[in-house]
Amino acid sequence: MSRIDSAAPPEANPLVRPPDRPDGGDGPGHFVRASVVMGWRWMTRMRTALYLLALLALLTLVATVVPQQPNVPGTVESWLAGSEGPGAGISRVLGLTGAFDVYGSAVFLALLLLLFLSLTACLVPRIRAFVRLVRHSQPPLVRSVGRTDLTAHLVTDSSPDEAHAAAAALLRDRRWRVRDAGAPDAPGRGTKPAQVAAETGLWTREGGSLLFHLSFYVLLAAIVFGQLLTFEGQRGLVEGEAGFVDTEVSYWSYRPGRWWGEADHRGWRMDLDAFHVDWVRDPLAPGAGQPTTFRSEVTITPPDGEPYPAVIDSNQPLVVDGMKIHQLDWGYSPRLVVEVDGEVVHDRFLTAQLGDGGAFYRTAVKAPGADPDVGLDVFLYPFAPDGDDGRPQLTGAPWDDAPVVIVSQYRGNLRLGETQQTINELDTSGLELVGGAYLRPGQTVEIEGVTVSFPELRRWVGFQVSDRPQIPWLLFGSALLVGGLILALYAYRRRLWVLASPEPGSGRTLLLVAGRAFQRPQAFEEEHARLVAALADATGATPATPVAPDEPPQDPAPAGSAAGAGAPSTR
Amino acid sequence: MSTDQLASLSRVLYSPTTLALYLGAAFVYLYALTTTVGRSAERERGRRAQRVGAILAVLGITTHVAHEIVRGLAQERFPLGNMFEVTSLMALVGVAGGLAYLQFVRKRPELNGFVLLGGALLLAMALLMYAEPGPLQPILDTWWRHFHVSLLVGAMGIFAAGFVFNGLYLLRDTAERSVAAARTATTRGSTVGAAYVGDLDTGDVPTGSSVAAAGGPHGDGPDGEDPEGEDPDEAAERAHAAAYRAALRAGVPAVKLAVGVFVGTALVSWVWLVEADTLAAGMQRFLTVNLVMVAAALLARWFVPFLPSTATLDGLAHRTIAFAFVMWTVGVIAGAMWAEQSWGRFWGWDPKETGSFLTWVAYAGYLHARATHGVKGRKAAWIGVGSFLVLMATYLVANYVIVGLHSYAEL
Ligand code: HEM
Repeated sequence: MSRIDSAAPPEANPLVRPPDRPDGGDGPGHFVRASVVMGWRWMTRMRTALYLLALLALLTLVATVVPQQPNVPGTVESWLAGSEGPGAGISRVLGLTGAFDVYGSAVFLALLLLLFLSLTACLVPRIRAFVRLVRHSQPPLVRSVGRTDLTAHLVTDSSPDEAHAAAAALLRDRRWRVRDAGAPDAPGRGTKPAQVAAETGLWTREGGSLLFHLSFYVLLAAIVFGQLLTFEGQRGLVEGEAGFVDTEVSYWSYRPGRWWGEADHRGWRMDLDAFHVDWVRDPLAPGAGQPTTFRSEVTITPPDGEPYPAVIDSNQPLVVDGMKIHQLDWGYSPRLVVEVDGEVVHDRFLTAQLGDGGAFYRTAVKAPGADPDVGLDVFLYPFAPDGDDGRPQLTGAPWDDAPVVIVSQYRGNLRLGETQQTINELDTSGLELVGGAYLRPGQTVEIEGVTVSFPELRRWVGFQVSDRPQIPWLLFGSALLVGGLILALYAYRRRLWVLASPEPGSGRTLLLVAGRAFQRPQAFEEEHARLVAALADATGATPATPVAPDEPPQDPAPAGSAAGAGAPSTR
Repeated sequence: MSTDQLASLSRVLYSPTTLALYLGAAFVYLYALTTTVGRSAERERGRRAQRVGAILAVLGITTHVAHEIVRGLAQERFPLGNMFEVTSLMALVGVAGGLAYLQFVRKRPELNGFVLLGGALLLAMALLMYAEPGPLQPILDTWWRHFHVSLLVGAMGIFAAGFVFNGLYLLRDTAERSVAAARTATTRGSTVGAAYVGDLDTGDVPTGSSVAAAGGPHGDGPDGEDPEGEDPDEAAERAHAAAYRAALRAGVPAVKLAVGVFVGTALVSWVWLVEADTLAAGMQRFLTVNLVMVAAALLARWFVPFLPSTATLDGLAHRTIAFAFVMWTVGVIAGAMWAEQSWGRFWGWDPKETGSFLTWVAYAGYLHARATHGVKGRKAAWIGVGSFLVLMATYLVANYVIVGLHSYAEL
């Protein structure tokens, strides 16, 4: 900052820049404006970005260590109850600070906002500078070569003008930006010696970095609009049973984005013909018990077309009219028929789900049509061969070679619609246990006046249908990100000067080839050597030892950020 | 051969064979490093040692690759399905990539020893997670997953090499700073210690400390300049150089280093305490890992005087990490594609996704720090070291402590 001497007459003091907003005054408006300007300045600092990135890392770290509500609600519950984690007290504090849902918390949103603000604040001046640079920048001429530059000396029979022209042509060929000040009257040369100055890599590097940072806006936009436009729904289907049509009402769980409308459904129909699943059955083989196949054979019927068969595999979702269909889960589907007093009160395929511990599948029969209501708690063991005593031996194996269904029968009030209960779970608070039995496929038993039969076992599959129009945009943003990153990290800015001067006495021409890399000095060293060799080829020059001692060190231009890291002169 | 025989062959190829070869090569290379300051007879011995080290290293890489192939045959799948396999491949990529880069791109084979040592440590760490060969869940068996995991594992290996360079940079920088501080109280601190220490040396100490960043390969002064007969000047210079080396070594306080490395390692290795069945078993692993790391750090400290300039080490770390960062970025994107294909959602903040994002942010912080005036140098290197701790911690935590969709810890 220049110093101001109040004793001296005003004209002796350096000019002071007028304040940015002379009309501001002292009022609150001024305060707000000053804060905004200061905030903006703070935002444009790279250090700020670093702090914000560190904060982002910290929040992410919390989310890595603390279970997250949207991912593992069960674990969060047991943390809060104190049965897992650091104890109920600490967990309650964590809950208050929002640590169980970091990505949904206001702090995270605010940080994201700040990051993008900071990104914008630092990109605006960078883009402006970049545009200016591309429009106006010229490779600077050099007065004398600095000690830190890479230099090589050549001697040739060509004239200095020819040598300059050859150098300019060579560098233009290699797509350097060339400023040919080889002629004595070249514009802007001033007192500097005749030379060819060239620069490259700056636009690519800076442009790549800008592309990289700009890709975040593309990604953000894709994520935000994606949230609004996306649709996701789940629906289970039993093998061979009636399928479902893609409409709002046919999904079991339905999660549309805010801008998703009923009219966006495509209206195709899907039927599950068969579901194939298999495991490593040999108990001694490596990975025993692991599943090896999940495959659904389905039939798709377009709204106004012919049905066609299709396959959904574990890593091959089916795409129908832009909607993706995945297999989410599966289970066994026993058909249970319940008769009370000769009247069928229940006859359908159930969707049993894998129970806790993974040894059995569990579901429930709810028959409010009987009086009083009939409820069956159903356990299905897929592999329970008969033991020596003639009773099923329950194993934990998941394949259905010897299935058995164990039912416990309840009578009373099912309290359907009164309490929260899933389809696979009985609310026994209004029920009374009256008896139990086990059945194999094809068998019928009678329990206290209720006939239960188990005619058939099938499988069901839970499908997820999703529409994500944002994916191409996410891919586009990712491509920008990766492409920009590679340019920003691998392109490097470097300058080259070729100075030709007549060798005193001999009539030959001395060439000085000086170079400076602002990044990646190592890579430039090799490139410099190649350029010198190419120039020697082009001008028929041979290496020479410099006659004059090195000129005093003087930087031809202010060094950039990562200037050359002090490349020594190689002679 | 039967599956069992293949499995045990792959185990033997891994340990002790590959482990011993890496360690052997590491020590031969480290020996060669000490000869770079000696006279020409000694340097000749060093060059011969480097050749032996190269043979051992190539043999080690060969047996390591053979292990991966035999293991792949034993389980009839690409060996990238559990933590042992991932860590093993991480070591392979780190060693092969690091050596190729040092040898052919940067032409600094004298640093090979450190990369091999790091690789041997990773290899040994993988043994803590050993799992018998087995098949893969069908959901994991997709091209996108292989692409994704290979990229991330490769990036991890290269990040590990970057961590080695950053660690060596910090050691060398600490040594140079304390020597500079001791010699001239008036010298102001500088982020590029090398330049100042170079000025402080009266003799031309051939440690490379006065050779600036982009200088030719370390220690490649013209051989002819090394006279066989020793004159008094020469002897004094040698004594001076030896004293300088001793001062450099003493510049890194051993106790502080040991405690620091122990604490730093503990930030990652606590996972074994949590994960183990009994406290004693966990404590044993925890202490083993920590003490081995402390020993490695003390070993590296002994070699501080022979290291190239800080600018070179910093440049090596930056280029290595930049490369791995690109790989990591592509790998994470590939992971999102896999998730979209397998589970119908491309990003769900699953612990592994969170961990990979955290690592990405940490290394982005490193790259930013390195590009920021006033932060680069030591602070940037510390951020780089911290980023690697984040990488290892999230890798272990997401696999051992929290089990998400990606889990292969149990398989
Ligand atoms: C939002 C998260 C951000 C990420 C993940 C990110 C990432 C990166 C990365 C990886 C680089 C290295 C590429 C290179 O060396 O050119 C970089 C460079 C850079 N970043 Fe960011 N950045 C972010 C935000 C910001 C913000 C908010 C600012 C502004 C303050 C900023 C300013 C810069 C600058 C100036 C460079 C250039 C460094 C150079 O040219 O070497 N970045 N950024």
